[in-house]
Amino acid sequence: MTVIKTSNLTKIYGKQKSVDGLNMTVNQGEIYGFLGRNGAGKTTTIRMLLGLIKPTNGQIEIFGENFYKNQKEILRRIGSIVEVPGFYENLTGKENLLINAKIIGVHKKNAIEEALQIVGLQNETKKLVGQYSLGMKQRLGIARALLHHPELLILDEPTNGLDPISIKEMRRLIKSLAEERNITILISSHILSEIEQLVDRIGIIHKGKLLEEVTFDYLRKKNRKYIEFQVSNDNKATMLLEQRCNIFDYEVHDEGNIRIYSHFGQQAEINKLFVQNDIDVVKIAMSEDKLEDYFTRLVGGDTIG
Amino acid sequence: MANLLFTEFLKLKRAKMMIISILGAAVAPFIVVVATYVHMKTKQPTEVILFEELFYQTNLYTVLVIGVPLYGVVTAFLFNREYTEDTLKNLLTLPVPRISFIISKILLLFIWITMLTLVSWGLTLLLGTLGQFEGLSFSLIGESFKQFFTGGLLLFVLSMPIIFITLVMKNYVPTIIFTIVITLINIMTANSEHRDLFPWAAAGDIANNTLLSTYPLQYSYIAIIFTSIIGFIATIVYFKKIDIH
Repeated sequence: MTVIKTSNLTKIYGKQKSVDGLNMTVNQGEIYGFLGRNGAGKTTTIRMLLGLIKPTNGQIEIFGENFYKNQKEILRRIGSIVEVPGFYENLTGKENLLINAKIIGVHKKNAIEEALQIVGLQNETKKLVGQYSLGMKQRLGIARALLHHPELLILDEPTNGLDPISIKEMRRLIKSLAEERNITILISSHILSEIEQLVDRIGIIHKGKLLEEVTFDYLRKKNRKYIEFQVSNDNKATMLLEQRCNIFDYEVHDEGNIRIYSHFGQQAEINKLFVQNDIDVVKIAMSEDKLEDYFTRLVGGDTIG
Repeated sequence: MANLLFTEFLKLKRAKMMIISILGAAVAPFIVVVATYVHMKTKQPTEVILFEELFYQTNLYTVLVIGVPLYGVVTAFLFNREYTEDTLKNLLTLPVPRISFIISKILLLFIWITMLTLVSWGLTLLLGTLGQFEGLSFSLIGESFKQFFTGGLLLFVLSMPIIFITLVMKNYVPTIIFTIVITLINIMTANSEHRDLFPWAAAGDIANNTLLSTYPLQYSYIAIIFTSIIGFIATIVYFKKIDIH
């Protein structure tokens, strides 16, 4: 089932197209990584998904319903963090969550305590949010987003400004939410490595356009590092790889090209084996392709961010 | 709406603005009563100044001079803090219509202004009693309360354009400048026979029963109602349409 579907979603400011005909789909139960450089249109898209910004054109369907016709009911099923979450700094974390609980109508007793427990802030009952670190505020933001048990969590750059340990903790928390609570998660980032280990599928946005929307497994496969042999007899070569070297992670491409995705550094031995078995080796090449380079090529420039 | 109003009250917990606004509301009664007392006691032969004069003077200064900037700051605080504390993007992703959110804040503003009006009136009564001013009666208490409440209510009604400016400018400074300009116009037009066409000056005259006969009193009411309605409509239309960045 599709949880989020945008059709030709467009936002124009003056002459600038911030989001340009975006067609995005997020499926139920998946963690969807929304990747793009700063200013690519991620936050504008997310704000449109949450009703904070009105699109110039296009449609948004969430949970199979038109967002603008059923906004109130749909928002009730969504939890979100948009960039750095804002709080009333004169209140405690619990009091801040009470505001959301009252407005949404969370009647469950201990709902606030449970949400604070999930993010590990259950002991910070007396501390005012003004005294919280950025990491604590991000975690409180997650607690606030989870308070009403949403089916969809939209997180806009939730790791922005966090130190490496907090990023790791945040990643673990998001992963556990998806696994234990079966929440569909849309997470945006401008840093591939931050969401690489987390997401099932990614959408890459650049200059407002969605360039690609694929599963992460496909991308990994497409961009894996490999040793490539061009040989005269690929049937015999693959038989040797399996029987003599225990290599099974390979692919045979056109014109006798064999890509081996493991046993890096053993290309000399493999070459020797082929030659000793009367297989001509025309070419040996080492692919240096990595995922990060792939994104760099896709969106241009030196870095994603 | 009750839940929204509850959350608006909760947001004020530990907020220094509450005590600052109370101190601001205490200025007029304190200055008027103390200055009158000193004047009365130092003048020879001793002049008799009645309680009624204290209420009149305090309400005059509250509505025309102190009230507009003070309530303006309160308005700016209530509406602008959602921008400065970056909490608006959370509130507006909750299943609440934007209009309800604005209405709850307007309700809180009304309660706050009423509370400050009570502080001003109550302090005048208290300090005047301590100073043993003459002429205090139940009818004066009732009448003065009505005048103070009318002044507070009219200033609340006239807060609508101030709310609009706060939302559009997303900053305290333009709101404060706007309220200072209103106050200056109030002072500049104090001796003008046309002052009751200016909504805020008219509010002062209506509250103190001192409307001039230059124009029919309906003109003053129309000026106030027109300013308020335009401000309210502009606020609602703007806030319903604006993108939250």
